[in-house]
Amino acid sequence: MSRLRVLLPFGLLIAFWWAIKSGFDISDKLLVAPPQVWSSFRVLIGHGILAEYVSTSLSMIGIATLVSFAIGVPLGFAVGTNRYAARALEGFLRYLQGISGIAWLPLAILWFGFTHTTTLAIVIYTLIVPIIFNTMTGVRAIPENYILALQSLGASRLRIVTDVYFPGALPSIVVGTRLGMGYGWRALIASEMLVRQGGLGDLIFGARTFGQIDRIMVGMVIIGTLYIVVDRLLVQPVETMTLARWGVLRK
Amino acid sequence: MSSDKIVVSGFRHFFQSDSGPVQATGEIDVTIREGEVVTLVGPSGCGKTTLLKAIAGFIMPTEGQILCDGKPVRGPGRERGVVFQELAILPWRTVRRNIAHGLEIARVGKAEREQTVERLIGLMGLVGFEDRYPHELSGGMRQRVAVARTWAADPDVILMDEPFAAVDAMTRLTLQEELGRLCATTHKTVFFITHSVEEAVFLGDRVLVMTKRPGTIKATLDVPRHGKGGRDWDSFTGDPEMRAISEQVMHLVHAERV
Amino acid sequence: MIFSRVAWKLLPAAPAFVILTAWFVYWLVVRPPPSVIPSIADVVRTGAELAFGGRLLGDFIASMGRLLGGVAFGIATGMIMGFVAGVCRPVATFLNPLVVFFNAISGIVWLPLVIGWLGVGNALATFLIWNTVFFIIFQNTVLGIQLVPEVLEQGVRALGGGRWETIRTVTLPGALPYILSGVRSGLGFGWRALIAAELVGATTGLGQLIFSGSEYHRADIIIFGALLIGAIAMLMDRWLLAPIERRTVVRWGLVAASRGR
Repeated sequence: MSRLRVLLPFGLLIAFWWAIKSGFDISDKLLVAPPQVWSSFRVLIGHGILAEYVSTSLSMIGIATLVSFAIGVPLGFAVGTNRYAARALEGFLRYLQGISGIAWLPLAILWFGFTHTTTLAIVIYTLIVPIIFNTMTGVRAIPENYILALQSLGASRLRIVTDVYFPGALPSIVVGTRLGMGYGWRALIASEMLVRQGGLGDLIFGARTFGQIDRIMVGMVIIGTLYIVVDRLLVQPVETMTLARWGVLRK
Repeated sequence: MSSDKIVVSGFRHFFQSDSGPVQATGEIDVTIREGEVVTLVGPSGCGKTTLLKAIAGFIMPTEGQILCDGKPVRGPGRERGVVFQELAILPWRTVRRNIAHGLEIARVGKAEREQTVERLIGLMGLVGFEDRYPHELSGGMRQRVAVARTWAADPDVILMDEPFAAVDAMTRLTLQEELGRLCATTHKTVFFITHSVEEAVFLGDRVLVMTKRPGTIKATLDVPRHGKGGRDWDSFTGDPEMRAISEQVMHLVHAERV
Repeated sequence: MIFSRVAWKLLPAAPAFVILTAWFVYWLVVRPPPSVIPSIADVVRTGAELAFGGRLLGDFIASMGRLLGGVAFGIATGMIMGFVAGVCRPVATFLNPLVVFFNAISGIVWLPLVIGWLGVGNALATFLIWNTVFFIIFQNTVLGIQLVPEVLEQGVRALGGGRWETIRTVTLPGALPYILSGVRSGLGFGWRALIAAELVGATTGLGQLIFSGSEYHRADIIIFGALLIGAIAMLMDRWLLAPIERRTVVRWGLVAASRGR
């Protein structure tokens, strides 16, 4: 039943797409029929081309997430536990959020050339700001009593970090990471389109230059599916788990 | 016979606000002897929480000094446990692990830790809830956990800031009796602040009454204790002596209405 | 006392001050080629030249036009579709999988395909913004309508109000805070999508301005452009959207669903 609920809308969409394609006799330069996309998918799979593009993109987002997490979380803690640092950086971080990672792409290209470094720099920039921001708000939302109570139990500063700050901010950190990965994935695709050093963005933008609409559409489906798979199967369960465990279903 | 545990002398406190310093308390002198339960009752905003926070070491007094065992208080320490009004147990720890927290921090061995935790779970009526998380408990249950956590850490002095204010009236009566028993059996030095006259008289060996802001200590009343163990509400309400003391305190507090 | 209060006031300016100082010192000591790291003076001079030369105004107007067009279109379609889906459950159930999928590829991912349909220019950029904004507005509208307490609707019904009457007086005002908060974050995302779209999908606009900076190795243009883009985003949010959201949300004592993050 629930499978039908998912498949039916897509089935109807594909039928509609096919009908438009053949009904209006649209050129292959603009839109291709579903079977052409399918055969293009099989060709790309068969030659291992798709696997290469996919692994490039996935490893880029993976590395960027790890780096942003490793730098962003401690930074968020530092900012969140110190009210002077919080006041100094909050406005600045908000301002940075207004400059999307992609707006720094031209500068990154000047600095690092058309390389993976450029793409990584852009994706990390995009990912790290929500992580810092959410870690900071998570830390600042922890009731002061938790900390005072632990001090009265004789806890050291390190102990308060491991027993209060970290678990207390964790749901917020997970939310921030999930948001960041969403933004980062899009920034990655955009950056790959311009840098042209592999990855799914390169795949679809490169196909454009040769007018291979079928490849573009395969790429789009893969980009969407991968995002949903990573988000729903990897990140969301972690989020639900921490939120439910903590009993702080804030949404 | 019993020595002075906490000595507050010449205490006065001011808060910094945007429009300059604001006086939180008048001059306060309080002595709490070892093994004594002292309750402090006063109108809201009189500065009773400020005094408790200063004894806990969360704030430094603007004037005067606070001694614990003859040594000046310089910050929070494990010899002075605190039970807060609002929830201060950690939502990501189970009941058992919350109660054990102070012992974990003090690096008490596992066997001893478990023994202490089991004992307090029994004493505070938490049997069957050991592995629940705080959000799965009622407000009264959570405060039981908070009390148990403080007692488990075995401090010399326990400071309580209106711990039952947010609990429903029926549960509060039970908690008060349980706390009274706990105090009587463990011989802890307890400083308990409240705005409920009955609670103050019911729990205290001595009741301090505070004036309105900036508060000073207006009166001290001894509450005689007959027999061992804590009081219970049935005999308390039927006791004319207790009723007389309660009325006396009530008059003193009423004069401070804002 | 006074010193610390002044320091507290000035603290938000500290990051900018630190960066400018570090930049200045680095430039004095290392003397990097201006095409990689220009001097602060160069960036300011370039900014002034662009501003007074008229190029900047043209790009600004081009970007704003696309933004307003795409966002307005996104709000209109998102609200209408969201409204239908919110009021009629089967529609929401049917659309949900499609929304999840197309939301995952919203915005810039469409560029290679749609560039063939619409060519480079306003239509393409507007499409990409619409595509980004639509899903945010749609989801917030559906959520807002579904979260209107049923008691309120029953109340109007009990007073003899018809279906349309109920929708007009209860459902729409009840969902409005959510919709407005969607508009706020939608504009933020639309702005980012616009810059990305203009890098390749347009010949004018602020995105194109910074991209041309990289083609001519003019780091001064890029830095000035990026800082300007951030400033515009912040001003739009602070002076236009936050007050609107605050007014309705605060007046009705409601809490917004999502924050523009």
